[in-house]
Amino acid sequence: MTRTRRGRRAALLGRQPIGIAFVTPYAVFLAAVFAYPLGIAVYMSFHDWFFAAPGAVVDRPFVGLDNYAAVFTDPALLRSFLNIAVFLVINVPLTVGLALVLASALNAAIPFRTFFRVSFYVPYVTASVAVVGVWLFLFNSDGLVNTVLGDLAPDPSWLVNSALAMPVVAIYVTWKQLGFFILLYLAALQNVPKELYESAAVDGASRVRSFWTVTVPGVRPATTLVVLLATITGANLFTEPYLLTNGGGPNGASASPVFLMYQRGIEQGEAGLAAAIGMVLVIGVLAISLVNRYLLERD
Amino acid sequence: MATRKFHPLRMLALAVGALMFLFPFYYMLVGSLQDEPDSTPAGALPDPGNLTLGNYADIDERLDLGTTLLNSGIFTGGVLLCTVVFGVLAGYALARLHFRGRALLFNLMLLVQVIPFQLLTIPLYVLIVRTYGLADTHLGMILPFAINSAAVFVFRQYFLQLPKELFEAAQVDGASELAILWRIALPLVKPALLTAVLLTFIGPWNEFLWPFLITKEADMQPLAVALANYMSNVAARASNPYGALLAGACVLAAPVIVLFVVFQRRFVATNLGSSVKG
Amino acid sequence: MKRTVTALSLAIPLVLSTVACNVDSGGGGESGAESAGKRGPITIWYSNNTEEVAWGKSVVEAWNSEHPDEKVTAQEIPAGKTAEESIGASITAGTSPCLVFNTAPAAVPQFQKQGGLVALDDFPDAREYIEERTGPTAEQYRSPDGKYYQLPWKSNPVVIFYNKKLFAKAGIDADNPPLSTYDEFLDTARKVVKGGGAQYAILPSPSSEFFQTWFDFYPLLAAETDGKLLVEDGKATFAGDEGKRVAAFWKTLYDEGLAGREKYNGDAFADGKAAMAIVGPWAIPVYGDKVEWGSVPVPTSEGKPVEEIHTFSDAKNVAMYTACENRGTAWELMKFATSEERDGELLEGSGQMPLRADLEQTYPDYFDQNPDYRTFADLNSRTVEVPNVPNSIAIWQAVRDAYSTSVIFGKSDPDTALTEAAAKVDELAGQS
Repeated sequence: MTRTRRGRRAALLGRQPIGIAFVTPYAVFLAAVFAYPLGIAVYMSFHDWFFAAPGAVVDRPFVGLDNYAAVFTDPALLRSFLNIAVFLVINVPLTVGLALVLASALNAAIPFRTFFRVSFYVPYVTASVAVVGVWLFLFNSDGLVNTVLGDLAPDPSWLVNSALAMPVVAIYVTWKQLGFFILLYLAALQNVPKELYESAAVDGASRVRSFWTVTVPGVRPATTLVVLLATITGANLFTEPYLLTNGGGPNGASASPVFLMYQRGIEQGEAGLAAAIGMVLVIGVLAISLVNRYLLERD
Repeated sequence: MATRKFHPLRMLALAVGALMFLFPFYYMLVGSLQDEPDSTPAGALPDPGNLTLGNYADIDERLDLGTTLLNSGIFTGGVLLCTVVFGVLAGYALARLHFRGRALLFNLMLLVQVIPFQLLTIPLYVLIVRTYGLADTHLGMILPFAINSAAVFVFRQYFLQLPKELFEAAQVDGASELAILWRIALPLVKPALLTAVLLTFIGPWNEFLWPFLITKEADMQPLAVALANYMSNVAARASNPYGALLAGACVLAAPVIVLFVVFQRRFVATNLGSSVKG
Repeated sequence: MKRTVTALSLAIPLVLSTVACNVDSGGGGESGAESAGKRGPITIWYSNNTEEVAWGKSVVEAWNSEHPDEKVTAQEIPAGKTAEESIGASITAGTSPCLVFNTAPAAVPQFQKQGGLVALDDFPDAREYIEERTGPTAEQYRSPDGKYYQLPWKSNPVVIFYNKKLFAKAGIDADNPPLSTYDEFLDTARKVVKGGGAQYAILPSPSSEFFQTWFDFYPLLAAETDGKLLVEDGKATFAGDEGKRVAAFWKTLYDEGLAGREKYNGDAFADGKAAMAIVGPWAIPVYGDKVEWGSVPVPTSEGKPVEEIHTFSDAKNVAMYTACENRGTAWELMKFATSEERDGELLEGSGQMPLRADLEQTYPDYFDQNPDYRTFADLNSRTVEVPNVPNSIAIWQAVRDAYSTSVIFGKSDPDTALTEAAAKVDELAGQS
């Protein structure tokens, strides 16, 4: 009799219904804070929407998929999606690779370990607004990098070159965010049992080999996390291209979708179009994330 | 015990890397101490004749560093508290407990992270200011950031990394889920906790747009906002505007770096193997 | 996965329907005429420009001492483009102050569309007051429906500042530099870069924000077309011969490296990186002792006498917002703050030009003491404003994008780019 009741409860609420209690604060938070704005955003994307004063009588006709059609036909917007694709292709693999390698190196008992760990972390915590100035100083047409490169310096210079602007932004963001991802891997590495390394060493594996056979599989959940977070951050890039290339860069070569969303939505008052851009971005990132998760997390 | 390993190649690579990472911050520091702005490559080396703490004095005079830092602290502290308490619960449940709605919540958590904040800003502002009436309050600043979904995700991933046997053993012993979480799982994910704290810290600490919209009273504004305001207007009047800006940025970055230096020592491997066997 | 899809497909319509119910919740306000009479405490915002803050504080203090029942609370907002964001957000939330002493004319059509602005015509003496104070230039500030949604407050006529020392060093007459025709300007620019030690002749910001056009293309266009606005009678005016000449002039400067394509982190003129600047008198306190400056009106292709040159106004105005309850007080404060006395204080404190007709005659002492400012006072009556048309910001962005691609970065032909932009602008200005 007890078992049937428990069985029924389990069928209704899952094996450990206490989980519901655990997640309730978070769920309430999501509902109270994000549900309404998200709902509005979806609603806006199907209308010729603009924000209006409370009580103002304004005409906001339903326009169906017009906003979405605009997103896929506007050359500036299409260019911005391409820019983000370029960014992700450079940033994500570089981030994963560098972060894991550096985290492994920083995990060992090396001299000055604290100093090294802090130095990789510092760019992450400094506000972009201040750091960008230094980066500009480096990559200006008469900056340090070009002075060092001499004749090899590209012309037009890095940030005013349509082909190079986005890659430079990608390198900047990789550099800036790396500290955080190193941290994620450092934390994950603590839970890779030492015995595995010892047994690999006993089997005669070199350091490189044990890296591939022990470390990489051992931190797989963290890798999923890193890839996902890097993809999401990259897709939602706004401040960095804006600061480094003064808005959209030469000919919109480094405009990001979120930047255009801000421009059309908040500056020009076309909230409906901005919402459609946002929705397309969200769906795109979700698609990429699902693919990533499938490829990486097979548990 | 392991002797200190010293591999010259590895050290060299790390040193070069560290140099590349530190150089801009070092340059910021030098720039903030300069009396006259020197934007030539030679200016990268501190010139004793050109050093001054005047930029820091400038910033402190125009912005009330004490109050703004306090506001930043309250904002960030509030977010940290909510995230650590409620986020850990949610992350643990998502990782290890089976309940109805788990998949839905997980996907919602992902969804919330994917959405760019700029998309939600204005409706969120209307919600918090009009519906909840929280303009010019610390709670209004904290609310949209209260539980960092990325942190929840981090918690989930690290709880996932813990071996099943650990939990099965505890369940066999009849422990309640809360006890398992508190006594067994949590101590093992200290690195994850610290990571999440450091991750969650940066967002509100450096956040400009949201507090700017929510607060108009100058004495409620956090440092990031005050600094941005300063930059947009007053900076140009200072004798070394760029230097003053860098001074502000250094002040903004300093507490986080200190926090990290203190906490990163805790990234020490736990003896996972023994706790399973024992 | 399937369960998630089902769950989401149930959740979303639920959320949407709640949203749809809450959105557009009308509820009438009082009619304009009723609120126009109400008096009581009000809030105002002004920019955080140091001189304006000082002026603002003294005005508020004076008012509060005379009107203890109608206290004014003032707050600062940053002067940059985040001001428009913050005002727009406050309109949507219903939390805007009564007056904002930093309303950009370019944002007025949008705020008006949002239902955020009060038509000043609601006040019986408003029209007369505005037109008498500002004179014929006031016409530019009327909205398409013929009403005034802003009170023209102050302007910063855009001129060319030049560095006297760098000019002298290059062997150019620092008191009367040849800068009135395009050819003269280009020659002087080349000379000063070669011999004066500045990296650039002039460095207007090359970034792509919509308002940057106001500080390179638009002032020269205004001068070249003898005072035409960007859009007149619903049609773009910048793709004609005058616009093409202005674009060609700027293109030469960029092609020859006399103007820079990269943004400078700071004030290029104050730091000596550029020998000239194109900006209004608000920048003078910023330059302070750093630069010994002189100023001339912007150049035109053939050269014109100074009395005929027009320029961009870079005006900032005062607007009243619909969230205001005590509009009677707000209107009275608007008049109080723009009286002859207060305008004079603004002039003396900041060097910015109140949008008053006959400025030089009204404040002869000030201009006797500051003869350098006479140019600005003179130009004050020949300023050209941004056109008050729908989608004004999108229009400026379209112009900026075309200008940036063709003139600054040389990726396309300016004539074609401008013509295409003009077609787009015609379309945008025609929407309601």
